[in-house]
Amino acid sequence: MTKSAIKFALAFLLLVPAQAVIFNHLVLFSVAVPIVFICLIIKLPITVGTNLSVLAGFLAGFFVDVFCDTPGVNALCCTVLAFARKPIFHLYVSMDDDLAGRSPSTRSMGYSAFMKYMSTMVLVYCGMLFMVEAFQFFNFRLLILRIAASSVYTFVLLYAIDCLTVRKHDTAV
Amino acid sequence: MNELFAFLLRNSKWFVFTFFVAISVTMLLHGDPYRQHVYLTSAGRMASSVYKGANNVTSYFNLHEINGELNSRNANLQAEVSRLQETIALLQEQLFTDTLVPDSGVRHFEFIVAHVINNSISHPYNYLTINKGSHDGISPELGVIDRNGVVGIVSNVGPGSSRVISLLNPHFRLSCKIKRTDYFGSLVWDGQSPEIALLEELPRHTRFDIGDTIVTSGYSAVFPAGLPVGVVIDDDTDRNQNFFTLKVRLLADFTTLSNVQVVLNNQAEELRVLRAGEENDSKKNPFGN
Repeated sequence: MTKSAIKFALAFLLLVPAQAVIFNHLVLFSVAVPIVFICLIIKLPITVGTNLSVLAGFLAGFFVDVFCDTPGVNALCCTVLAFARKPIFHLYVSMDDDLAGRSPSTRSMGYSAFMKYMSTMVLVYCGMLFMVEAFQFFNFRLLILRIAASSVYTFVLLYAIDCLTVRKHDTAV
Repeated sequence: MNELFAFLLRNSKWFVFTFFVAISVTMLLHGDPYRQHVYLTSAGRMASSVYKGANNVTSYFNLHEINGELNSRNANLQAEVSRLQETIALLQEQLFTDTLVPDSGVRHFEFIVAHVINNSISHPYNYLTINKGSHDGISPELGVIDRNGVVGIVSNVGPGSSRVISLLNPHFRLSCKIKRTDYFGSLVWDGQSPEIALLEELPRHTRFDIGDTIVTSGYSAVFPAGLPVGVVIDDDTDRNQNFFTLKVRLLADFTTLSNVQVVLNNQAEELRVLRAGEENDSKKNPFGN
């Protein structure tokens, strides 16, 4: 538990500034934004209680909001995503006994289950984020384009992060 | 009592969830950029120190293009200087016979050079952060320009950094006029492309051509008159029948902003007092105009 708390804190200190300084500026064709910091919520061990993960999600979203001057937008979406994490996870994995204390990854969940879990989480997040932002100018075509392009882009980057980190995690845990 | 506690504990996740959603929605709905506390914006100490650190690295990236633009601007200014020198020489000759007083209007505005340390173009409400704050004499509602045109207006000021409402933000409407014909309207971003904004509320009899330059009108104390803003690229009128709406390509390139200037207006206080006086007068005498 302490170990995953420390791991989460380190990932938080790395990913939230990285989202603000690096990933927010890697916009493709002015529609696709990579939202990499939701990795924090996706990778949270599934045994972490809903209360704690909602708190963690809110904090992550809140600090990204402070950096990006989008008051409340990411905080709201992260809170909802952290709350919906367990139901989404159990769509694809029925038992979580053998996953105790380990964060979801291709190694711990199996390739196809993790891909489905991650893509659902990314799609839910991008969908919510751009819909909340679309309250100002509603343009259906642009909204769908933003959600689709950002989801694909985020998914590819998160998959890359998973490939880079999964081995280290597995030997460490 | 025990059952009540058991009930609360069993459903605690719903309470926690509702609590955080409520906080987020409250933040979301209090959207007025001037009312936000500076620590909750990118001009706060935490966010601005991270951006300043990152900017030490990234500020070198666009130097090649910036150098090119500065060179061409320098050449234009050189030409302008020599033209003005000729004019001054001419006017000095006339000064002996004429009672011409040099216009003091040019000294009403001063400029503070600042560096953009954070900038967004992909949100519906965009902001940028600059590395000068109240210690450098910056206060809210000052205009911000770069070498190509108008960039935005300062909203929140920290000690060493400030947040600027970008022109790419519907909270910011800029009073502009068509340079050639002097018809004025209001420039606002429509949320689609970071290069294009709409010039709205132009009267129906406005004459314009594609390619006309749009400049600031100078009707507010924020920007001097005649600063370049954009170029008319299209007529977009059919949305709004009573007024003309023009599509304007913005001259400032928001994707590569780096050095900007904050416009200090030495007469702003005077204008504010005058305007407050006008409002008081109209309150005292509701039947007057």
